[in-house]
Amino acid sequence: MRIPFMSMFIASPFDGLQEHAEKVKECAWAFQQAMECHIADKCRTFEEFRQNVVRMESEADAIKRRIRGHLPKGTLMPVDKFQLFRYLREQDRVLDAVEDSLNWLSYRSEPGIPDKLQRDFFLLVDANIDPIEELSTMVLEARKYFKSFSEKQRTLVKDIIRNLRRQEHEADKVEAMIKKKILNMDIDPVTIFHMITLAEIIGSIADHAENAGDMMRAMIAR
Amino acid sequence: MTSNYCILIVGYIFGFYMAWNIGANDVANSMASAVGAKAITIRQAVFIAGILNVFGAIFIGSHVTNTIRKGIVSAEILADPHVALIGALSALLAAALWVSFSTWKSLPVSTTHSIVGAMIGFGIMAGGFSVIKWGKLAAIVMSWIISPFFSIIIAFIMFKIIVRLIISKKNQFTKALNLSPYFVGITFFVIILSFLFKTPLGKKLSIETPAALAVSLILSIIFGIICKNLLSRFIKKKSTSTAETIFKRIQIGTSCYVALAQGANDVANAIGPLAVIYFIVKTGNVGATVPVPFFLLFFGGIGIACGIGMAGHRVMDTIGSKITTLTNTRGFAIDFAAATTVLVASKMGLPVSTTHATVGGVLGVGLARGIEAVNFRIIFKIMLYWFLTVPASALTSMAIFKILQLIL
Repeated sequence: MRIPFMSMFIASPFDGLQEHAEKVKECAWAFQQAMECHIADKCRTFEEFRQNVVRMESEADAIKRRIRGHLPKGTLMPVDKFQLFRYLREQDRVLDAVEDSLNWLSYRSEPGIPDKLQRDFFLLVDANIDPIEELSTMVLEARKYFKSFSEKQRTLVKDIIRNLRRQEHEADKVEAMIKKKILNMDIDPVTIFHMITLAEIIGSIADHAENAGDMMRAMIAR
Repeated sequence: MTSNYCILIVGYIFGFYMAWNIGANDVANSMASAVGAKAITIRQAVFIAGILNVFGAIFIGSHVTNTIRKGIVSAEILADPHVALIGALSALLAAALWVSFSTWKSLPVSTTHSIVGAMIGFGIMAGGFSVIKWGKLAAIVMSWIISPFFSIIIAFIMFKIIVRLIISKKNQFTKALNLSPYFVGITFFVIILSFLFKTPLGKKLSIETPAALAVSLILSIIFGIICKNLLSRFIKKKSTSTAETIFKRIQIGTSCYVALAQGANDVANAIGPLAVIYFIVKTGNVGATVPVPFFLLFFGGIGIACGIGMAGHRVMDTIGSKITTLTNTRGFAIDFAAATTVLVASKMGLPVSTTHATVGGVLGVGLARGIEAVNFRIIFKIMLYWFLTVPASALTSMAIFKILQLIL
């Protein structure tokens, strides 16, 4: 404090945001593997993957808390503090949805996903993984925008956001298709309920990713 | 008479100690943005700051030293030279004590505020409230309030200009190169003007105000063009090079600018009371009409340089590793704002705090949304210490005065 200059600079919340986005991305891969494992027969490592995701989720939560807890009142940033928090909340919800879907799947391991639906669920998972991977790129590019304030960089971020929106729309279509198929299948009602809810939870991953994109759009608004 | 010489020697020691402290602690404020933005290494910072602080002290430092020496206490009406002598020594001791205390306790206390407070204490004890030049003091206090704001505004505008004209553009490297003569030119204009305008050097060359303006303008244009040529010769355009590449070099120049301004303003904090002692011992009065001798300013400059050389390294090392979010364009805006504020204040004979000017610069860029995270609230803490430092050092100065009166 003898040197006020030094005390003025505090840890950048964008570092945390980036770190959080990377965690989300990492989780997405583990999620994909877990789903593949679950669908494939005789998989023993599903539980391991699930635990992995649960652990990563709690790590990401710690990052989130660290960002929120270490921004003193009167911190000057390129963006509004609460915009940043709102963005962070959506990014965190992506992760929650990933964790929820694996948890939900683990509640009823037999008979698992019916054979006829396996291909569709692969499609749904893939459709929801794409937007998650965009998130960390978006944070990276947005940071560059806050460094240069250039129109070119802003357009780049806006393109990513537009892309997210499109991917969410695609994921929605797959989700609708899968639900329609499940409800018209001749299987026991508990499995139908299990599968419908699973499709809904997985589908919400892309929703939250899109919401995060919208929050980012607000952050880069001039 | 021998006791007077003893006091002078003690004065020299404490003056040097004050200067040493300024060098050791405050240089970090001025060099921090350049070191933090990786424009210069710590070794270079120590070198630049050491040399240019001495230059600033010698050539531009006399105004503020005069203010400390005779601007606060109207020393002419001090009846007893012996009382004045003890008073000046206690002011110096009190200020040194405060600087040591704040270094020990890590408080954001300004050396400038300490010395002004100590001088007030000295005046009150030696001649009562009537010998304090309240008008001049009010101006000094106003300058403490105005200077950070001035710095905020300059940094804000400077950064906005850089964003608008350079870094938001597609070809920011070329833009930066093309506009570099203007940025360099403005800097040189202020520096050259401050060397020529109302200084012993300017008088010797018998340059009047309009002539000084003209000379500065012409020289700054020349320097601006030279710098552009040097920049375009030494920086090869690569696909990765941005405006930051250019500003990284320009920032070497602004670090010199800051060091110069700091020397000009801060030397007085150490040498002001020493000059009072010196004149009383040598001539028997405060020598109000006589300018501060060259070697006293040089002595102060060397003291600052010693502080930088011995302890500045450690402080800047901490800063360089901690401040990583600062880029060269931001650093330039901060440096430019702080140095211009301090140099203008020095020319007006106002002892402002270099620390506060730098803090103002950072806030200006922060308000322009140029830094990922800046803690604004530091200023409230700094403001609190404004109000505490002056009375505290004044009281310390009074207490020391009483003790010294018993001894001497």
